[in-house]
Amino acid sequence: MKHPSIGEFEELVLLMVAALHDEAYGVSIQENLVEKLSKNINISAIHVALKRMEDKGFVKSRFGGITEDRGGRRKKYYVITALGKRMLDSQYELRTGLYKMIPKISFS
Amino acid sequence: MKPRPPKWPLRFLRWFCREDYLDEIEGDITEIFLRRHEHSPAKARRQFLWNVLKHFRPEFIKPMKFKLHYNRRSMIRNYFKTSSRNLVRNRSYAFINIAGLAIGVAVCMMIFIIIQFQTSFDDFHTKKDRIYRVLTEYHHADAASISYGKGIPFPMPAGLKTAFPQIEQVAPVYASHNDQLQVLDVNGAPVKNFKEQSGVFYTGPSFFNIFDFPLLAGSYTSLKDPNNVLLTKEIAETYFGDWKTAIGRTLKLTGSYRIGAGLFQSPPIALKVSGILATIPANTDFQLKLVIAFGTDFTGDKIYGLQNPDWDGTSPDFGCYVLMPPNISVGNFDQQLRAYSREVQPPDNKDSYIIQPLSAVHYDTETGNYSNKTISHELINVLWLIAAFILLIACVNFINLSTAQAVNRAKEVGVRKVLGSNKSQLQMQFIVEAFLIVTSAVVLAAAIAILALPSVNRLLEVSLSFNVLNNPAIILFLLTVTIVVTALAGFYPSIVLSRFNPVNALKSKLTMNTAKGISLRRGLVVFQFVIAQALIIGTLIIVKQMNYFMNQPLGFDKDAIVNIPFRPDSTGGKLTDYLRQQLLSVNGVRAVSFSSNTPVEDGNDIWSAFRYGHAIKEADFNAIVKFADDEYVPTYKLQLIAGRNLQPSGPTREFLVNESLVKSLGLKKPEDILNKKISIWGDRIKCPVVGVLKDFNDRSFRHDLAPLLIATNATMYRQAGIKLATANISSTMQSVKRIWEQTFPDYVYEYKFLDDKIESFYKQENQLAQLYKIFAAIAIFLSCLGLYGLASFMAVQRIKEVGIRKVLGATAANIVYLFSKEFIVLIMVAFVIATPIAWFYMHKWLQDYVYRIDIDWWVFAAGGLVAIIIALATISFQAIKAALADPVKSLRVE
Repeated sequence: MKHPSIGEFEELVLLMVAALHDEAYGVSIQENLVEKLSKNINISAIHVALKRMEDKGFVKSRFGGITEDRGGRRKKYYVITALGKRMLDSQYELRTGLYKMIPKISFS
Repeated sequence: MKPRPPKWPLRFLRWFCREDYLDEIEGDITEIFLRRHEHSPAKARRQFLWNVLKHFRPEFIKPMKFKLHYNRRSMIRNYFKTSSRNLVRNRSYAFINIAGLAIGVAVCMMIFIIIQFQTSFDDFHTKKDRIYRVLTEYHHADAASISYGKGIPFPMPAGLKTAFPQIEQVAPVYASHNDQLQVLDVNGAPVKNFKEQSGVFYTGPSFFNIFDFPLLAGSYTSLKDPNNVLLTKEIAETYFGDWKTAIGRTLKLTGSYRIGAGLFQSPPIALKVSGILATIPANTDFQLKLVIAFGTDFTGDKIYGLQNPDWDGTSPDFGCYVLMPPNISVGNFDQQLRAYSREVQPPDNKDSYIIQPLSAVHYDTETGNYSNKTISHELINVLWLIAAFILLIACVNFINLSTAQAVNRAKEVGVRKVLGSNKSQLQMQFIVEAFLIVTSAVVLAAAIAILALPSVNRLLEVSLSFNVLNNPAIILFLLTVTIVVTALAGFYPSIVLSRFNPVNALKSKLTMNTAKGISLRRGLVVFQFVIAQALIIGTLIIVKQMNYFMNQPLGFDKDAIVNIPFRPDSTGGKLTDYLRQQLLSVNGVRAVSFSSNTPVEDGNDIWSAFRYGHAIKEADFNAIVKFADDEYVPTYKLQLIAGRNLQPSGPTREFLVNESLVKSLGLKKPEDILNKKISIWGDRIKCPVVGVLKDFNDRSFRHDLAPLLIATNATMYRQAGIKLATANISSTMQSVKRIWEQTFPDYVYEYKFLDDKIESFYKQENQLAQLYKIFAAIAIFLSCLGLYGLASFMAVQRIKEVGIRKVLGATAANIVYLFSKEFIVLIMVAFVIATPIAWFYMHKWLQDYVYRIDIDWWVFAAGGLVAIIIALATISFQAIKAALADPVKSLRVE
């Protein structure tokens, strides 16, 4: 099986899922991302990313209870899987490794 | 109250989105919507829609479903089976539906065939787009009024050819009437006499370069030489037995013809058959029988014949067709014709000319054409409207009966739903059922149409044919009707039936819910009766106007007067004197008068300009000129109000005038005109007025009275008017016939009673009245058929109610009243709507007639009453049956 890859936006969403642990669902992810990135993100982009990552096994989901705020619809909560965590770790290592290779020259 | 997300985007989302994602997606965007809504509702709505649209992407869209695939075909087979079983079970209901629809469709089909025939006139000519007719634009003295006529001056065709070289072909056409034809055998001895009322045309070979009338033998160019004649195959067979032997044979023609202001006698001329034309199609206004070379001098008189160089006179029988180059501008050419007419005509003649495309000729009711068969676009539209209405009435029956039947089908629908049918499948089932009914109705309608066609042909004097195989338009029409009626009639019932809640349906609780259906049904019944009553009222008014035509006193005697045309008297009165003496010796002949025509004519009059007294100019109006002997006044019982009758005379010596002429001249008393001189035909005749006649109707009721001159002139008499005693008319007519045949051995004897002739003026109105009668009858029949169905259904539905009412003491009359009450109210409502509609249209129709009836209130009352009585009769059958039923039977079983 080909090693699953991860896109930049997906990685951001995955990080947010991990960060919001157990409170991550569509709207909370979107709001936090918008706040951190200070740019507008459509909810549909989040849904697409979550669906793809669920297919790849980076996240898993469960339904919450019915609440009135959502027109009687359940929340779908996402948590990061072990595979997802490993993916984040390897990405982090890759980036810090590369970062460290930057020679100590002054950027004036 | 929480704000709700916009409805339509939400529906859309739910429609396309996969079920397993719906909770998440809808929940999330609703949550966002609600948060936003607190700040800005409008923006929140916009964003909601935008979010929904952003989710419309492959990941979230439901997979396409083809779940019907495996059993669709067998289900359709099942629909057909259950539908046909259902039809057989409810035989009377199916019969009403199919018969009603079939009659409606048959009427539609007939109208379609009629209109198809009428609109196909002269469309088979290959150059039809470039063929034009020349019309005269008459500018009357009172400059404001312009009228058009198909007659043109005699020098026109030749003039057009030299003045406008761009015209490709010019064909002068002279249509002759009432020609006597004598067939000669090879040795030149007479064999048989024939009379042709119409169909004898004088024209040149150019006519056949313009129009497509194929030739079986001989040549068109033979028409260049005078005294050649082309016969159609049918005429050749009638005259000579076999058309192949007809070429080269000789016919002797005696015409009585009318040009400009005069009636003329033609000397017998010999014609040589030089060609045979193929059968003339029915859909052309040129119903050719004999086509005579234009150069034939049948008048023996260059001054009044076809060679007449005079630009002043036109004859309605003399016209001209031209073949123009492609893409000419009609308006531009009319301008050129106007300039041309200024050039060639004397300055006081303001008439001008226009060209009219061939495609407009058959619809030009004003100027008419050679076949005297025109149909206005207005009438065609009315026919379409009637066809549509009758079809709608039939569809309404179907809708009413099917929705009324719905309760009976409720259990079936319930069971089907429980077993897993969805709405669209049930709708499909009921559409299939409608389709079955409509198809059988259309097949039945075709049969009805084929059977009815001969009577329609007779009524309208046309030759329509119903041939599905070589008329693809009919097939297309039938298919369209099938589909449209299925959709129209099947759609609504299928929606109603498939909407049932299966739980209620199986519990038989549906009767309550059908109240809404009843109000629609009421509306449709009202609609049907509006149409039916409007047609009944319209028919009553037309029939009343027809009776008025026939019974209104005309101002002269028209009863028991017979008119017999005869050969013009060239003996200066000897022949007429002999005839008169012979006729008066017959027992039963009261009076005999010879004249150019009868007191009332429809477009068959001689009109003339005239000069009154010492006036230098001619009067600014024309008068009808009739030539008649001194017996004319007593025979037709015309009334003199001043002066005396004409004195017996061969040549013209004196004039009688009518009151209208006196008034038009501006004279105060009738006596003022006596002994004043009037001259006509450019002073060729100048005589004193000796008497004034009380006004009588000298034209049809479409027109006002016209000023009239009557004078003696033996050479102008064309017919005898014989007043008969009312007893033994047939034996008197036998004697008259004998005298005629002895006096004119080579002349075909024919006669016409004056009242029949007057009736024939209104032939079109008569046909229209007949058509309306039929349509009104069908409309009321179809409406009542629907009513019968509804009433019988109601009787079944309310059988328990009726039973209980009877047990509690209701009489049969109470029950009948119960049933009738509702329908009567509906018909009254329809009456209130129909009355103004009918009044408006019939008022408009009556405006065409100068002499017309007033629309009385009782016509409407009668129309409404007829509808109510027929409807009551229809309902009462069912109502009485229900009222007389034994209540024990209906209440025994629960």
